[in-house]
Amino acid sequence: MKTLDARGLACPGPVLLAKKTLDDQRPERLAMLVDNDAARENVGRFLASRGFAVSVERQGDDYLLSGLLQGGGGGDVAAAPTATATATAVQAQPAAAPTRVVVLIGSDQLGRGDEQLGGKLMVSYLKTLKEMGPELWQLIFVNGGVRLTLDDSPVLAELQEYERDGVIVLACGTCLAHFAVSERQRVGQSTNMLDIVTATQLADKVIALS
Amino acid sequence: MLIGADSADDAGVYRISEDLALIQTLDFFPPVVDDPYDFGRIAAANALSDVYAMGGTPKTAMNIVAFPAQSMAVEVLRDILAGGIDILREAETVLLGGHSIVDEELKYGLSVTGFVHPQRVLANRGLLPGDCLVLTKPLGVGIVNTAVKGGLAEEETIRRVTRQMATLNRDAARVMADFAVSACTDVTGFGLLGHLAEMIAGTATRVRIDAGAVPVLSEARDFAAIGLVPAGAYKNREYRRSMVEMADDFDPLLRDILFDPQTSGGLLIGLAEKQAPALVARLHEAGVEAAAIVGQVVAGDGIIEVR
Repeated sequence: MKTLDARGLACPGPVLLAKKTLDDQRPERLAMLVDNDAARENVGRFLASRGFAVSVERQGDDYLLSGLLQGGGGGDVAAAPTATATATAVQAQPAAAPTRVVVLIGSDQLGRGDEQLGGKLMVSYLKTLKEMGPELWQLIFVNGGVRLTLDDSPVLAELQEYERDGVIVLACGTCLAHFAVSERQRVGQSTNMLDIVTATQLADKVIALS
Repeated sequence: MLIGADSADDAGVYRISEDLALIQTLDFFPPVVDDPYDFGRIAAANALSDVYAMGGTPKTAMNIVAFPAQSMAVEVLRDILAGGIDILREAETVLLGGHSIVDEELKYGLSVTGFVHPQRVLANRGLLPGDCLVLTKPLGVGIVNTAVKGGLAEEETIRRVTRQMATLNRDAARVMADFAVSACTDVTGFGLLGHLAEMIAGTATRVRIDAGAVPVLSEARDFAAIGLVPAGAYKNREYRRSMVEMADDFDPLLRDILFDPQTSGGLLIGLAEKQAPALVARLHEAGVEAAAIVGQVVAGDGIIEVR
């Protein structure tokens, strides 16, 4: 995560810098260094108004503000399934309505530690994902994630429903071939790396789960 | 000399004779709006305000100009001065001249001289237990101007706040002249609570502010909520922290609005509680629509209590 340096900026400069960064890049985390109390309060307040949980750390004469975007538009901490995931916001298209979110799934488990638990968490994540609403644009499965598109997938019905609702579901063709399960794919289209690169480039936000 | 540099008052007052005293004041600042003509009007209304706040009538004025002649078209300066002159005309005040220098940053303001009867000078000290406080313009100008500076305010909002800043305190002062006012100031850089603190610091009075009754520009709250609070508001709060009592769970946005530095703010008038509703009614009739009773003065310890 890059730290924005807003020291020396006069009011309302620090807030405008934070606003521009959120508008342009839609990061889920943001850190900013400020050098006065007014900027600390103002930037903290601005981030809170955008649904970030904010912590402040004193660094000599300066303050380091760290903001973490909260799930569900503010309030509670991110739901359990995502808490163990590596969720990374990449890509930043200027705000073209509507927002397009790509979820890139690299495994049939969510997080590491216990395989059985990881499998359950991934099922729970994919079922809960519909709460994201119409912003969900594409679901892309790669590596072990392609197992979730097969005939014995515990979320097959859910993924088929996403597809009916207009979400683009893609499974990596190379990966299906690697596991020799191409014939068992029951949801989504088989895809190639160029499609995946293009999708992640065009998205407003990419959530990568591994 | 009736009021001089040792007081925190709005202007100096010098007695010339039994029935005439001179009020002198000066104010200038960098642009608060983009439009040069509007900036001129606002700067003039702001400079004239100190005379009204002392209970006086402005008579003459001199321009003060710092202008970046290398980087800015002279038309800009012409428009600023035109705005200033239009407001002076509205205030029936004569421009006698002025002085300009070349400077990197544009600044404009005026030195204003007014008349007042020596017995009718309204100082900012003098609030009495049993008084009510009346405020004549909504707060939140500093916050809204911060949003304007950041390009985050709508055109309509800019127009409204510009109109408010360019509105003279003359009408409010004329109405006030018919009442037995115990103290008056205009709310500017220190914000409502900062100026109120000057009025009662070290006195045997305590002020109770009814925050819900204070007129506030409708957009100020939303802008404050996204952190568009000028640094001055925080400094004002820090400076007067020990004089202001506020519940721990007091709305922080409203708190910032109460400390928000105002440009060309309204008059803050203290007078006997019985007279206050009549003053407010007369102010409304005179077109001073936002005027409201915002607090009470009781005997006490020089503390401002905000509820």
